[in-house]
Amino acid sequence: MSIKSLSRKLLLVSNNIAILLVAIVVILVFYSQNPNFLHDDNIRNIMRSMAFVGILTIGMGMLLIGGEVDLSSGAVAGLSGVLVAMLINTGIPWGWAIVITIAFGASLGLISALLVNVLGFMHFIATLGLMSVYQGVILVITRNVFIPVPNEGFRLIGGTSFGNIVPLPFIIMLVLMIAYTLVLSNTGFGRSVYMCGGNRKSARLVGIKPKKISYFLYINNGALGALAGVIITSQMATASPVAGQTGSIDAITAAVLGGVAFKGGSGGMFGCFIGILLINSFSAGLTFVGFPQYWQIVARGSLLVLALCLDYVISGARSRALEHALRSHN
Amino acid sequence: MNIKKIAHSKIFTLLILLAIVIATFTILSNGAFLQPRNIRNIFQATVVVSLLTIGAGMLMISGQIDLSLGGIGTMCAMMAAFLMRSGLPWHLSMLAALVLGAICGAFNAVLVNEFNFQSFIATLATASIAQGFMAVISQGRQIDISDRTFNFIGGARFWDDLIPFSLIISLVLLVLYGIMLKNTKFGRSIYLVGGNADASRLAGLRPKRISYLLFMNAGALAALAGMLLAGRMMTSNTVGITNAQFQGLTAAILGGIAFGGGSGGMGGAMIGILILSTFNNGMTMINVPMHWQSVASGLVLLSALTADFLSSRKRTSA
Amino acid sequence: MSKSFPGVKALDNVSFRADGGRVLALMGENGAGKSTLLKILAGDYFADEGEFLLNGILQNFTSPYSAIMAGISVVYQERQMIPALSVMENIFAGALPKNKLGLIDKPRLKKETMALINKFELSIDPSVPVGSLSVAHQQMVEIMKAYRRGSAVIAFDEPTASLAEEEITVLFKLIEALKKEGKIVIYVSHRMPEIFELSDDIVVLKDGALVTTFITSETTVDELITSMVGRDIGDTYENLSRNTEVGETLLEIKNLVTHDVHNIDFSLKRGEIIGFAGLIGAGRTELVRAIFGANEITSGEIIFEGQKIDFKSPFDAIKAGFALCPEDRKEEGLVLYRSITDNVSIPVLSKIRKALILDRKAEAKLASTAVEKYAVKTPGIDKLVVELSGGNQQKVILGRWTNELMNTKLLILDEPTKGIDVGAKAEIYQTICDFAKQGIGVIFISSELTEVIGVADRIYVMRNGRITGCVDRSDATEEGILSLAMADKDETGGDAQ
Repeated sequence: MSIKSLSRKLLLVSNNIAILLVAIVVILVFYSQNPNFLHDDNIRNIMRSMAFVGILTIGMGMLLIGGEVDLSSGAVAGLSGVLVAMLINTGIPWGWAIVITIAFGASLGLISALLVNVLGFMHFIATLGLMSVYQGVILVITRNVFIPVPNEGFRLIGGTSFGNIVPLPFIIMLVLMIAYTLVLSNTGFGRSVYMCGGNRKSARLVGIKPKKISYFLYINNGALGALAGVIITSQMATASPVAGQTGSIDAITAAVLGGVAFKGGSGGMFGCFIGILLINSFSAGLTFVGFPQYWQIVARGSLLVLALCLDYVISGARSRALEHALRSHN
Repeated sequence: MNIKKIAHSKIFTLLILLAIVIATFTILSNGAFLQPRNIRNIFQATVVVSLLTIGAGMLMISGQIDLSLGGIGTMCAMMAAFLMRSGLPWHLSMLAALVLGAICGAFNAVLVNEFNFQSFIATLATASIAQGFMAVISQGRQIDISDRTFNFIGGARFWDDLIPFSLIISLVLLVLYGIMLKNTKFGRSIYLVGGNADASRLAGLRPKRISYLLFMNAGALAALAGMLLAGRMMTSNTVGITNAQFQGLTAAILGGIAFGGGSGGMGGAMIGILILSTFNNGMTMINVPMHWQSVASGLVLLSALTADFLSSRKRTSA
Repeated sequence: MSKSFPGVKALDNVSFRADGGRVLALMGENGAGKSTLLKILAGDYFADEGEFLLNGILQNFTSPYSAIMAGISVVYQERQMIPALSVMENIFAGALPKNKLGLIDKPRLKKETMALINKFELSIDPSVPVGSLSVAHQQMVEIMKAYRRGSAVIAFDEPTASLAEEEITVLFKLIEALKKEGKIVIYVSHRMPEIFELSDDIVVLKDGALVTTFITSETTVDELITSMVGRDIGDTYENLSRNTEVGETLLEIKNLVTHDVHNIDFSLKRGEIIGFAGLIGAGRTELVRAIFGANEITSGEIIFEGQKIDFKSPFDAIKAGFALCPEDRKEEGLVLYRSITDNVSIPVLSKIRKALILDRKAEAKLASTAVEKYAVKTPGIDKLVVELSGGNQQKVILGRWTNELMNTKLLILDEPTKGIDVGAKAEIYQTICDFAKQGIGVIFISSELTEVIGVADRIYVMRNGRITGCVDRSDATEEGILSLAMADKDETGGDAQ
């Protein structure tokens, strides 16, 4: 019995461990191909690229845990990145520009929440529509050209590195992840998110209002999307009209790879972190070992299928384990 | 059929909507909108959308969704162009591209039916893989097409340059699929499965098989759409029909194909497509900048959804 | 302390009282109204009439949540927990203790949970996810959750259905502890020995009405069963015109095993009606679904017309002449938002084609014949099925399987009279007998004992996925079948007779 219950316990946490092992293997493989893979510069590059998707993944991960999804978050990031650049270029102090941008992102999140909760649209189709709108707005206001941001203060956010290795955005992402981990595991609100994603009916039975949670998750996701946009604009010192295009998909991939159940109710930030680490070291590694550029797109697309298959296998094994527990008593 | 019934039907509402759109743009453009050449342009624009709507619409009737059609169609067109450049004759290249489209559809069907993925996420994944393969085939550059027959199929126009050949293809297909949906066992099965897959299975239908067929069909039609566009442009570029997929969905919803599955048809979809093309064209005619059109198409999708929501609420409260 | 519920649809003028510190057992056949009663208690349903007093105070629940707040917890068979959350979080869901920072006070949470666990003398690790616990332990967690909320009333719906012997002992100890605390325990179970071991009072329901109440120590198993059954079999069944000529063997099931049923053996002749009786969850539906190709078969043989068959899907079964009217008409039987015509013609679509195009005239004829034959009350065959009453919906399904293009040889009816009014029921019974006259073999599943006994020629009784007995109609009594259907000995398996 003890071995059985231990193995069941392992199943419930194992996707984190499995994916961590995969990430380590991936890193080691690239390292063995080219030891420079773990050189300071490359590590810095990987960390640098992790911040954008990472912050998006926090919001998306929270949504997925709560049983929702928002396909517009990449476009929200892209639009916010453009907005912050334009605000700064009109002379608004960069601090205020960031605050306004994040508030703007939150209000875009609110729009998603309204469509889903008030009009009852299926989340993916509503947010897909919004994605198209935002992407269009980006094109309209940028006329499809880059907007440089010649502001030294603003550039410091993305440009600062500690010990010349750890970029500030990476630290921001880490701090946020820790904060959200605390929220998820140590507040009543956090536990409510799991309950809504896991079993809406029983969440209601203990007095949780799933709609309220849903509103929060979308608004939160919008705000984080805006922050991600600010960061990528700062990192590049220029706002790109295409910055956020694959953001939503990357974030879903990272979250699901990191063990957030696609159907909601389980997962956490640590898993998300490993998911992002895996995605980014994988992409960086492919470039590093000279994997043909276009095949990289295929490989990254396949990663999502892989992540979902993993989710399927693990949740299948998990329900079989439960089933087994049930049946062994009959 | 009595007049009241007609006046209350969805098709009638759509026709009125179409008339309003046409009237508005005609006035705003001082009549330029109704020039024969412009009407041709509107029809020309329906071709790709129609083919995508047929595939996506039938999937929606059966209760599923496919977001990979743009990616699949673009990749398949690129493949056809690549094969022709490598010296394969046009017919074999087209056949290969159609088969490739069907294979991609089958891949979607496997993810949805065997791995139980939700169709939207499975097809999004497929879309990004297809996009990757497209980049591999094209090496990121467009491939020009010199095959005359291929370009003829996509680009020829008859009757004083007014009727595009590809329009005839898409119309014939719309009608054929419309007849099939309403009048054959397979068509009926799609509605039944969309209405209640469990009950259909216990009554002797095979929902899984239907799902496979629909995904493969949608993939092949997307490939055809991609190729018709490439033929018209005499080149296959990396954007291809990516953006048209969205319009396909919108047209289907606009035309009354409900998201939950089980209802709607090709008649409504056809008017939906017309409204959408007319609208897009009108925006160009009255000099709305290109980029706004992407915003508008998203808004149209959301309005179509809202209309669907409102009318279904009326239905249930009645 | 008293409660009373006069007059609810499924409950007719039921009044009784439950006292603190006592265990009240709620008994009755399937459909007697036990679950309705529990659902009213839990705030899922509202009573149309009558009132419910707790500690002398009138209660008026507007939602399940308000019932919980008022101090009533129902422990259902399916668990209401979040597998990914820990034991302590599930127990304290909705009322997690917080520290000064507003964060969850984990040490305190753990301490309070441990206190509960110790109180009930259990051995559960409070910080593991509930999903990793055994079913029994999950149930314990559910009970602790109810206790933690300070519920005055804790109701159990068949709590031992999926528990092993030693786990039941632990559960009973827990219930004893609740009783000592002065809680009202309401206990629904079909297992006689448990009732006698555990309960203080027994309330017997039948057809939504209160039959009687017993003090457990003053009654016997026999008296209890008689009180649960006691009803006259009306003329309905006497007047049925039955089939008298039974043909050769049509279907034979040999040692069939699936995920849900074990070692099933039975046979059916042409023109014969066999009944399947048993409690809800006995595996009858799963058995017929497996025969119909809808559920997977692990081992065993199905022999139909002398041939061994192996259906991959219902499609194959229907081709061979099988037909199934599923238990859940709306979810599994009908495509609700399509017309009567569309629903009738599904299995014969390929037979009404002319050069691939559906022949609508033939289809309409099919539907109108069905509507006439079964006297479906509808203004026309284009009516959506969702707009019909339950009895008429059932007739549409019957019409689907027995139209002239079908070659139905074996008809499986899973609870065909569920939710159907008395008049329509009698029509359906006669229809079933008419099928038999045509030489169709009928498998008739029903949880209403009187109708199985009244209609079927032979009755198989199932319990826990096994057949526990077979009786001929002439020998069948409700008491006899009920005791086969309920575990009346201390065993969880079953010994076939």
